[in-house]
Amino acid sequence: MKIILGDNQFFGINHFDLAKGVQTKSKFLDLKSIRAFITDSLNLGMDGFMINSNSLGYRLISEYQFDDSKEIHYSIPYPHKYASMVNENGMMSLFSFIVKNTSWISNIKCGLKLVATQNLVHLTPLALDIEVPSTLSRGSYIYLQNIITDLLIGMKRFDIIEQFVISCVRKGYRPGLITLNPILLDREIRKFKKTVVRDLIVCFNINAEGFNVFPSLDAIEDYIESEHDYKLMGMSIFASGAANINESIEYIKSLKLDYVIFGTSQLRNVKSNMELLRS
Amino acid sequence: MKILIYGFGRMGLTHYSILNALNPNLEFTLIEPNKVLSVLLKSNLKCQVLKNDTTLTDSFDITLITTPPFLHQEFLNNSLKRGDKKIFIEKPFGGHTNFESESLHKNVFIGYVLRFNPCIQWVKSNVDPADILSVKAQYLSNTIEKKPKGWRNGAFSGVLNEMGSHVIDLVNYLVSIEDYEVVQTKKESVVSDVDDIVEIELLSRGKRIFFLLNWVKKDVRKPMFGLEFELKDGRRIALDQQTINIFKGEKLLEKLSVIDLAETVPFYLRGVDFTKQMEDLLGNSETLCSMSEALKVNGIMNDALEK
Repeated sequence: MKIILGDNQFFGINHFDLAKGVQTKSKFLDLKSIRAFITDSLNLGMDGFMINSNSLGYRLISEYQFDDSKEIHYSIPYPHKYASMVNENGMMSLFSFIVKNTSWISNIKCGLKLVATQNLVHLTPLALDIEVPSTLSRGSYIYLQNIITDLLIGMKRFDIIEQFVISCVRKGYRPGLITLNPILLDREIRKFKKTVVRDLIVCFNINAEGFNVFPSLDAIEDYIESEHDYKLMGMSIFASGAANINESIEYIKSLKLDYVIFGTSQLRNVKSNMELLRS
Repeated sequence: MKILIYGFGRMGLTHYSILNALNPNLEFTLIEPNKVLSVLLKSNLKCQVLKNDTTLTDSFDITLITTPPFLHQEFLNNSLKRGDKKIFIEKPFGGHTNFESESLHKNVFIGYVLRFNPCIQWVKSNVDPADILSVKAQYLSNTIEKKPKGWRNGAFSGVLNEMGSHVIDLVNYLVSIEDYEVVQTKKESVVSDVDDIVEIELLSRGKRIFFLLNWVKKDVRKPMFGLEFELKDGRRIALDQQTINIFKGEKLLEKLSVIDLAETVPFYLRGVDFTKQMEDLLGNSETLCSMSEALKVNGIMNDALEK
């Protein structure tokens, strides 16, 4: 089981305690402190780190290099940026933003297809152009954030999810999908082309408490036990900090997961959690 | 089941996606006047897309009005005329100036989604409104970073209409604000041309209620509400969307979190409360905000802005 450092602590996210989230964010006020924490965690033996494509995450990947033997898991998009855009200027501002911020070659190629078919599936490669810095090393993982994956699941636009997976592979990256509805997603992934699914990771909530585990803990345990052509990553494994760490880790170790991801603002927690997970 | 959605912005899209996931047998019609968006919707969703509702004569089982507030009343009238069975309107139902109506329709519900938060439901089930002496309520976010365009920079928008209505509804839902008087209001524009920061103090049958609303708070990543109730027995209950803390004096008596109150949903998008809201709409609509409650919220907002 590979162990990945999460990024919630850098951006003040705590799904269990808002105040704690704000408190941990204050430790990571600039890029330098984020980079130092990631480097130290990797030096302690973590297999890689995840970072979101918000302004700090984008700059981190653009401006710094990391140990080649470690994995970078990069998640897109930064939902708040687009939510603000829609709040301030309406839905159509999203499309004009994408068109304005992508290369003219991509625009012509995908734009023509979009005009001809009006199918949003052709926006997917453009979205990757906008959100992924060209310096992100090939072979890294690119994840679609759960707010988008789950919206597309509800819309039954599994073809767009598949196109995201295909576009990542074509650009030399490995695809990831973050979802809070992994069982609904799994039913559709089984219909995807086998060749693109091989390197796919599906990342979802799992913890002994069943906190934010949907549709239920039992159903997700059965899902993990079932056979997949892709890899599974467990997130929120400590129920956003509400759970007993030792019991949580024992529980997680009992599951057939390929990856786990956890966030913490303390290096001592990185070390102790990693040791417990590997013991 | 036939569903009609007026307006396909962020809320229309969210509700569509949740409903579509909850029940695969729904038949959707969308009304979207924007030409480009309308073309995109036709090509991308399995539903009928119309520019306006003039050709619609048959009634719908559920209608969702997720347009800007100044269009709510017109589309509500059209829906009532057609005999649509249930009508869901996004908050704040026509904005603060819409605080009176000749008739109150029992099949009209307003989308105050925070009612469905597990912490709010805990208070609803465990605290008697008669035991509450005072309330402090706040809603903080970093929603507006640049000056908005169009109606979002006008009288139908502002922090009070867009976010304040949520917490006013929560307080009214949990405490029932009756015979109130606006004691004082402070308003400030920081980014938009309307209210970005608002403070309101109300008195309602001896209860003091204080609201603090700010949607330009840069250090807030995600919108967060907070409520604090002072009870007759000396306890103080402080909650946000994730935790409930019960104090006596400075001593913490009990702490409950969303983990203790965890609820499950068959499909998750943006929060358990969003799915619960749509389940309630498809079901017996017991928790959804009624038309009369929403008009009361608007009345409070109007009085606060007029003060």
